Amino acid sequence: MTDALFSRRALMAGAAALLAGRAMAAPGPRVVAFDWGIVETLLGLGVVPAGVAEGDGYAEWVREPALPPGIPDLGLRVEPNMEAVARLKPDLIVITPQLASFEPMLARIAPTLSLAIFDEDGDVWTRARQVALALASATGREDAGARLLAQADAALEAARPKVAPLTARPLYLASFVDARHVRVYGRGSLFDAVLTRLGIANAFTGPTSFWGFATFGLEHLAAAKDAALLVFEPVPPEARATLAHGPLWQRLPMVEAGRIGLLPPVWSFGGLVSAMRFARVLADHAAASAVSGAGRGDARG
Amino acid sequence: MPVAERSVSLFRPAALVLVLAVFAAALSAESLYARIGTGSLVQALVRPGAMGEVVVHFSWLPRLLVSWLCGAALGLSGVLMQQVLRNPLASPTTLGVSAGAHLALVVATLAVPGLAGFGREAVALAGSGVAAVLVFSLAWNKGLAPLAVVLAGMVVSLYFGALGATLVLFNQNYLAGLFIWGAGSLAQQDWDVVVHLAPLVAASGLGAALMVRPLALLDLDEEGARSLGVPLVGLRLAALALAVVLAAAVVSAVGVVGFIGLAAPALATLAGARTFAARLVWGPLIGAALLWLTDQLVQLLAGLYGDLVPTGALTALFGTPLLLWLLPRLQRDVRPPRMVAPVLEPRLERPGLALGQVAVVLCVLLLPALLLSHLAGGWSLDLSGDFLDWRWPRVAAALAAGGLLAMAGTVTQRVTGNPMASPEVLGLTSGAALALIVVVMALPGADRATEIAAGAAGAALTTFGLLALTRRAAFAPDSILLAGIALGALFDALVVAVTASGDPRAMTLLAWLAGSTARVGEAEAVTGLVALAVLGAAAVPFSRWLDLLPLGAATAGAVGVDVKLARLLLLLLTAVMTATATLIVGPLTFVGLLAPHLARLAGFSRALPHLIAAAFIGALVMVGADVLGRTLIYPRQIPTGLLATLIGAPYLLWRIRRL
Repeated sequence: MTDALFSRRALMAGAAALLAGRAMAAPGPRVVAFDWGIVETLLGLGVVPAGVAEGDGYAEWVREPALPPGIPDLGLRVEPNMEAVARLKPDLIVITPQLASFEPMLARIAPTLSLAIFDEDGDVWTRARQVALALASATGREDAGARLLAQADAALEAARPKVAPLTARPLYLASFVDARHVRVYGRGSLFDAVLTRLGIANAFTGPTSFWGFATFGLEHLAAAKDAALLVFEPVPPEARATLAHGPLWQRLPMVEAGRIGLLPPVWSFGGLVSAMRFARVLADHAAASAVSGAGRGDARG
Repeated sequence: MPVAERSVSLFRPAALVLVLAVFAAALSAESLYARIGTGSLVQALVRPGAMGEVVVHFSWLPRLLVSWLCGAALGLSGVLMQQVLRNPLASPTTLGVSAGAHLALVVATLAVPGLAGFGREAVALAGSGVAAVLVFSLAWNKGLAPLAVVLAGMVVSLYFGALGATLVLFNQNYLAGLFIWGAGSLAQQDWDVVVHLAPLVAASGLGAALMVRPLALLDLDEEGARSLGVPLVGLRLAALALAVVLAAAVVSAVGVVGFIGLAAPALATLAGARTFAARLVWGPLIGAALLWLTDQLVQLLAGLYGDLVPTGALTALFGTPLLLWLLPRLQRDVRPPRMVAPVLEPRLERPGLALGQVAVVLCVLLLPALLLSHLAGGWSLDLSGDFLDWRWPRVAAALAAGGLLAMAGTVTQRVTGNPMASPEVLGLTSGAALALIVVVMALPGADRATEIAAGAAGAALTTFGLLALTRRAAFAPDSILLAGIALGALFDALVVAVTASGDPRAMTLLAWLAGSTARVGEAEAVTGLVALAVLGAAAVPFSRWLDLLPLGAATAGAVGVDVKLARLLLLLLTAVMTATATLIVGPLTFVGLLAPHLARLAGFSRALPHLIAAAFIGALVMVGADVLGRTLIYPRQIPTGLLATLIGAPYLLWRIRRL
């Protein structure tokens, strides 16, 4: 009795979620995805996924395009829940190569497509476009794919004149990992690909990991004397003290000269949508510092 | 002759320190030159002007001093720990100091983010303290006897470690900084750490010096020490507390740098520091020189490789080959006390009946394991059978792995006579995991078959290496345990190095390392069950050996057991069991430690019933952990191995306390 009642309730909840999803998107295949870079690209194509992994984290770290409320959670990105995926009865499952060991299981539920924005070689920007096109064609929305590509090009075009003040000197892009270490984005990162297209020189030219970043102690930022530095939010609590009164930090050339600033969060493992968001926050930052004339105050906040 | 020996024992440790220090100093001079050229060090120290001088002042120099201080602190802590615990394998991490600090940092970062900003050191210190106090109170009834302390420390470490790992798995984006902390980075940006650590290390050294005489008497056996009027409990508490404070201070300041505390005292002993007083002097000095050299190499590598090379991880990378090389020598010099628990255990009158009861419970448990669902609306039994296809492979895998690991643990504990031995001390879980890490990092998109093939190759190679290393010692248990621990440290080093890099692929790895049944396919599940049946049956003929070997090699040999052959065959059996289980559910083998103890405590004392009961209990724990892990926070899944640890460790602690 309770079983029947329960499953009916579950069905209704599922149906409600389904309706919510359908209301926003034109009818199309029910797609589930786990990687946030794929999810943001799907949303950018106007496809609302039928289920995602760690949707709460997506809202905090990727931010846009916002995930409509009520989309079922499918477990962890590194370990999606097969049962939860099967319950959704999707038409298409999109994974990244990192989930290859789950592919045989997922393929029993629905056709499974593996796409990679990040890979050993090639250009992230080019691959992000390819992934967008592949997703568009897999969901039968080729027109939306072409539109997203055009939007991305337009976003970069629009940002280019606004970021002109930033082209004067090389730029470090970094996230604080803790009070003493920064993650710096270089060759092979999404941000580097955007910087290149905006005509800004990346101050960090050293070797990078698979995902295009390197982690090291703060003192390495002293290497480029004339560079500027932009730090992504969120800054971990223990690093806030460093920003406020770290002795080494305050003696870094870019800090002493006030060539630093704080950027809102951008998902560094994202695709075209995150690239557009990055171009926009960079343009906003350039505009804001042109008005206030200083980035130093921001970074201390 | 005594004079010559005395001069040798002074000369050799000093020579070791000197050699390490000369290399380290050369590297330091080189990196100093790269920063300030031929400029004045005094200028950089007093009034830094140029950027290079600023870096030297706020980063290079404090980092150098921190490497000395931390190395000395860990060396001193290790010497104290090994002296009190009478065990050359004891190290500052033995008492749960790192695991406690890690858990505290994870909880604080997630629950009270602001707190970490105010005092990360204080949070870590509090966590270490809680873990140590817990260990002490658990072992208090036994007068802080070495075995009780080590066992309590190990289980507390495992438990806090499992809690921390679970939280990390579900919140990894917030904890990137903790991955670096866990790998131990000495990078500095001011003089804070130096200012905090220096007086502490000096005071601790003084404190240890005051205790030299009574502590040296611990070299005698317990009765001897007591008859000379040594207040054992008070002395142990004071020395261990000092060791904990030192280790906790290092861990809270720079993160986990584990290997120095194990290696420095061992090196001091090997270099000829035979007395405790000598080890107390040379242990910290060797520790300081070792960490100095390691950290200079780390900075050199970081320059070449361009990414963070965590110092703590690299110490294990250097230390493991060193320890393996020292292995045969260490046997001669240090004789650890037999670690058989002198406990009066209950004995079952009718083990057959009790076995039947456990089997019934296991069968009953299979019902919720296959049918229980927990959706948004609540709990229910899913009688439609729609999801059986997803559930039976993981339940079968949990059952098979639990049974196999429990049997492997039983055999290992009986062969080594060491109640701390779990299947992973053989190092082959580490070998399998190492191979898998390489696959995950080098071959993105590798499928499950590739992963399993690599893991099997890794396990086989490790087993071969282990047997080759310990053949000359007739596969003596102590050699095997040391080799296994060294391999385990190497593997840990690689894992923390990979996670510290912030690579998202490392997170996939963490899920597997936590003992996940989520990716088990039907073929693996069937293989697991078949292996359980076949290997279980294969173990039965060995039960006479398993009854005799715990009595000691001499006794077993006297009644006609070919000890070397018996050890070899039993080791191979354990290796196959452990490797099969590891390949199916990952390398978290706590159940292999837990189940044999539970079976023994329940009164299964003869080898055969012990083996069977442990297998049933292991299967029971893993199946129970699987159903809870699958349903508790659906649709998220708690890895089965982690949950088995979370359930099992408190129970084991409770039993230890009552013993």
